[in-house]
Amino acid sequence: MSELKRTQLYDAHVKAGATMVDFGGWEMPIQYPEGIVAEHLYTRSACGLFDVSHMGRLIIEGPERVAFLQHVLSSNVESLGLNQAQYCIIPAEDGSAVDDAYLYRFEEDRFLLVVNASNTDKDLAWFEPIVKNFDCTIRNITGETVSIAVQGPKSEEILKKLAGVDEVTKPARNNLSTLMMEGRKVLVSRTGYTAEPIGYELFLKNEDAYWMWNRLIELGGKPAGLGARDTLRMEGMLPLYGDEMGVDEEGKPMPIFALALARFAVSFDEAKGNFIGREALLKQSEAAASFRAKNYTPEAMETLRKRVRPIALLDRGVMRHGMGVYRNGEQIGWVTSGTMIPYFKTEGEGENVKLLDETGKRAIGICYIASDVPVNGEVEVDVRGKRLKAVIPSKHITNNVPPYVVPVIYKAK
Amino acid sequence: MTIKPELQYSKDHEWVKKEDDLFVIGISDFAQDALGDLVFVNLPEVGDAVTAGEAFGDVESVKAVSDLLSPVSGTVAEINEELLDAPEMLNNDPYGAWIIKVSDVTATEELLDAAAYEAFCAEA
Repeated sequence: MSELKRTQLYDAHVKAGATMVDFGGWEMPIQYPEGIVAEHLYTRSACGLFDVSHMGRLIIEGPERVAFLQHVLSSNVESLGLNQAQYCIIPAEDGSAVDDAYLYRFEEDRFLLVVNASNTDKDLAWFEPIVKNFDCTIRNITGETVSIAVQGPKSEEILKKLAGVDEVTKPARNNLSTLMMEGRKVLVSRTGYTAEPIGYELFLKNEDAYWMWNRLIELGGKPAGLGARDTLRMEGMLPLYGDEMGVDEEGKPMPIFALALARFAVSFDEAKGNFIGREALLKQSEAAASFRAKNYTPEAMETLRKRVRPIALLDRGVMRHGMGVYRNGEQIGWVTSGTMIPYFKTEGEGENVKLLDETGKRAIGICYIASDVPVNGEVEVDVRGKRLKAVIPSKHITNNVPPYVVPVIYKAK
Repeated sequence: MTIKPELQYSKDHEWVKKEDDLFVIGISDFAQDALGDLVFVNLPEVGDAVTAGEAFGDVESVKAVSDLLSPVSGTVAEINEELLDAPEMLNNDPYGAWIIKVSDVTATEELLDAAAYEAFCAEA
């Protein structure tokens, strides 16, 4: 076995008593002593800190950087202004995903592309023959930099204090800024993988890693591991490559438009022009639009047989990745992600939502099932030999009104 | 890690306490710590037969499911129904949160006393 890589913060995790695991070739904290449930809830109520330095960070620069990115990414890179970020997918010609990524423009003349840790080498190999045709370069800076996600309702005030500013970034998601914090330069992005309405990702130099981690803890953040990162993203229906993207349980490529968020990640704008996978994606997008109009035509069903949907268990039990999903006794897909996820009970609505002290937990997840299952449609899940009742709700949470995520609990009619 | 001197332990990290004719079974502090936050418990029904070394139920953490292996053969006389709604009791109080009580015990796995179990955990 090849040696596992360690982030700059490895010693901090071990000292804090974290359980370390192999994740995509990196030795990473899956949880700290308080456990995944406490870390999940602390992120939802205050501020979770995640070492995400294992993720691949690539700098794309050179005169034809935009043309190259337009060709290999699904998004319209031309529309990305200075100090903005966008979610995107790296499509294959057949309209499936090589990976998903986030593109950041902190500087006029270069882009930062952040990809999945376990896919970094694969993505670089995918880009290599393509980038040769463009006058630009890809530089892997993963080992030279550190990335920390600061997520949750208290994250903004913590960063305001550190930077001594009134505004960390412009208010909405996907805004960026470059700030000096106690004499050190920090790149700040209003993005994250927890579905928190307020959350940031920081990029900084290796030598500033410990200073930043310790200051964030002193100001009220708490370390959270990959376990909580997984339950937080699952609750928010954020896909994970390997579960909701890539290939399915039968090894078949999963179309990008099986994901609801493909609509916002794929651009057919004229300015973008042709790009890898465009033809297949255009067909998929038409099928997805037809489903949105509740029009399950044979053509659309042929193009997008299955889609990625939320799923909530109605019987007692827990769903896990790979379990079969059934409708009227016939298998229609699989659970792609599932576990028992904690939540705060809430009172009030909109801006007046308050988190109560009382918590609950629910067996929810994500599935990849026949496209024609309607919202609130009932299905069954094979949980180790037992068929348990489940439902396909529209979502697990709402997060459109800061500062809190509000759980949407399915109530059987 | 806590080990209670008055209990016996299986190599699968269950504890056993004899209460008159009943064998009370739970999981050790070592087991709950290794499993992490427990979020769901599957229990047998009263009257079910259990077999030494075989699963009588399972516990699920956020990350994974693990079988509960019975240290004895016999008949389930009682189950701790409180655990169904509050599986975290197994984390918070592993020696207080018993799981099942077994009657008519005909066989047991090799059981260790506290000192032998402590040595066994140290090797694990």
